[in-house]
Amino acid sequence: MIGPPGSILWLVSHELRLSWRGLIGGPRARRRLTIFAVLGVIFLLVGLQVGFALRRIQAPVNPLTALAALAAVSVIFTLMLSQTLAGATEALYARGDLDLLFSSPLSPRKTLTVRFLALAANAFAAFAFFIAPFLLPVALVGHPAWLGVFAVLGDLALSASALGLVLAVGLFALIGPRRTRTVAQVLAALIGAAVFLTAQLRNILGGKASTSLALQLMALGADPRFHLPPLADWPLRAALGQPLPLLAMTGAAVGLFTGASAWLTGRFAGDAAAAQGADTARVRPSAGPAAPFARGAFAATFMKELRLLRRDIALISQVLLRVLYLLPLAFVLIRNAGAGAGYLLPGGAAGLALMAGQVAGSLTWITVSAEDEPELLACAPARPATVRAAKLAAGLTPLVILLVAPLAALIVLAPGVGVAATLGAAAAAGAAGLINSWHPSPGKRSEFRRRRSGSLLIGWAQLLVGLFIAAATGLAAAGLLWALAPAFVAGLILLALRRPEARIAEAFSAQA
Amino acid sequence: MTDALVLEGLTKVFAKPAVDHLSLTVRAGELYALLGPNGAGKTTTLRMVAGLMKPTSGSIAVFGVDALANPAGAKQLIAWAPDEPMLYDRLSPMEYLEFVGGLWGVAPAEGRARAETLLKLLGLWENRDQRCETFSRGMKQKAALAGALVHDPKMLILDEPLTGLDAAVARQVKDLLQERVKGGATVILTTHILEVAERIADRIGIIKDGKLLAEGTLQELRDRAGEREGTLEDVFLELTGEAEALPA
Repeated sequence: MIGPPGSILWLVSHELRLSWRGLIGGPRARRRLTIFAVLGVIFLLVGLQVGFALRRIQAPVNPLTALAALAAVSVIFTLMLSQTLAGATEALYARGDLDLLFSSPLSPRKTLTVRFLALAANAFAAFAFFIAPFLLPVALVGHPAWLGVFAVLGDLALSASALGLVLAVGLFALIGPRRTRTVAQVLAALIGAAVFLTAQLRNILGGKASTSLALQLMALGADPRFHLPPLADWPLRAALGQPLPLLAMTGAAVGLFTGASAWLTGRFAGDAAAAQGADTARVRPSAGPAAPFARGAFAATFMKELRLLRRDIALISQVLLRVLYLLPLAFVLIRNAGAGAGYLLPGGAAGLALMAGQVAGSLTWITVSAEDEPELLACAPARPATVRAAKLAAGLTPLVILLVAPLAALIVLAPGVGVAATLGAAAAAGAAGLINSWHPSPGKRSEFRRRRSGSLLIGWAQLLVGLFIAAATGLAAAGLLWALAPAFVAGLILLALRRPEARIAEAFSAQA
Repeated sequence: MTDALVLEGLTKVFAKPAVDHLSLTVRAGELYALLGPNGAGKTTTLRMVAGLMKPTSGSIAVFGVDALANPAGAKQLIAWAPDEPMLYDRLSPMEYLEFVGGLWGVAPAEGRARAETLLKLLGLWENRDQRCETFSRGMKQKAALAGALVHDPKMLILDEPLTGLDAAVARQVKDLLQERVKGGATVILTTHILEVAERIADRIGIIKDGKLLAEGTLQELRDRAGEREGTLEDVFLELTGEAEALPA
């Protein structure tokens, strides 16, 4: 670690070490590092090419480039805000860690300032990591002033951290600790998704529409009557290394961060304490006579899994956001398939089946593999197959709720396509669930985003099954008998993946 | 009367034997304390009895049911409570008991009634609809104990049940265990708090390096160790040879 023990530098290096280990630690750390290294070298080589190409080119500062820079800054700031908002709420809840720091002789103000700085450093690093291999060669080969991009990134990170912290503490005061965490995580995910969807406008709107939007913006930028508001070109000028804008932006960001940090250090410690204890003392009154208990292992497990899913809004939102992420794909499918108007709906049906498989795969991983108390299940006399079936059923229930209305509407409007889409979605969801059940990959719910999907082979097989079922669904919706071919292949892959009960039981007992 | 637990030549080998040809018998309706230094094989033994681990060799009979040939039959009679409570943070104690009752096939009405009795007995009734994530260590331990009792097991296996509990909760747990034994249940527990074993255990087994060193009532162990008036601590240290390691 860097710096004398107890210094701000030392504490920051501790935080960064934890973040780094969070990024590359865990299973398959070596593989992840190798991928990073290979990507880094590729980026660097490309960056050198770009650097030589741009060597003698001066970046123009005009309304169009200023608009582009503003758009980029807005997108990056929004993404950073999504990251720092989630990070701030995690910091509020990371009481074990804060307890240790607060019980040390270090001043709480220093500890918290470092925690806030680490938020900013993580946000900065996430972008700098990808930009550096391109930008450094460009800067070294001919444009050292462009290193200002890093300074602008740092400014954005400081500002996003300040805003993320204020938002987190504000939410805390408004809706309490538990809801803050949930709302902030959902909000963070939605912000990320919104940026992603904006970036995918071309896929969603189609080539013509997105081109016309870009053309309109370019025309606006080129219009001599169009004037940007004062200082709107400062982000671009700062990124290009012009001293005054750079100093002004950095001063503003540091001021914002320092102000927010100074104001929040006192409040933050109090809020973190409340996050730990606020709900402990509260006793919820019982809502009338309690419902009768569920009968048997299936019903009890099904109820338990549904309750746990329903109560982990952040996790569910992460899963369902995949629906949003698949939207551009669905649009592409529909549009491409829609070259002949009759194929528009089959393309949608195929997309729907694919989405159903993806979402079911995630949900059933949570219910089947991410069991919090595997020992409890292992020492119960219930049949493992019964418990697994209940977990699968519970995992698929949210998907059924999500799809029932659109599928019903589709069946009414276009019965053939509706039936094909329903069968396809059911097959894809069922297949994903079964594969998860046959090849469990134990993990914690909190590791959802970094979960392992068993072996690489199983991951590929799962994807292939989903694609074949989607293809079969599309062809069936178009009324083509050829649908049987991909359905047959999907069935064959599923049969190959099937495992005898004893081996599945072994995998689960290893979990316990 | 059938013995509650009979272990014959029970062995579990990891890199080296953790449990080494262990044979012991726990009688029905007794409170049996399994003691031993750290790493003696207590938890491994109990995990094998609870069906969480397969032995390398040997046999386990729970009330005459062969636990290796018929694990579900044996599990039906057992409750296992490890030192870390097996709870779901996002479930309330009532929901947790419903789940456990369902796993053990308890009839809904009966399970509901038992859950109410247990939660009242353990002082968790007011917190029955609160999520376990908000509970203190003692409350979690009590909720887990209620889960172990909700299916009315014939044999209760507890690994360090009193770790981390305050005096009042520890007393409550000890009383509850003794009541269960009076009601005919069998309790097997491990503990490092030797005074507890001395006070509440009917018989005590001492193991070290996976082998049974001695077994019997406190008096029988005293006689064996040649410590006529000694406490269980003296006897334990003598029998395990740990007394020699203490500074003079």
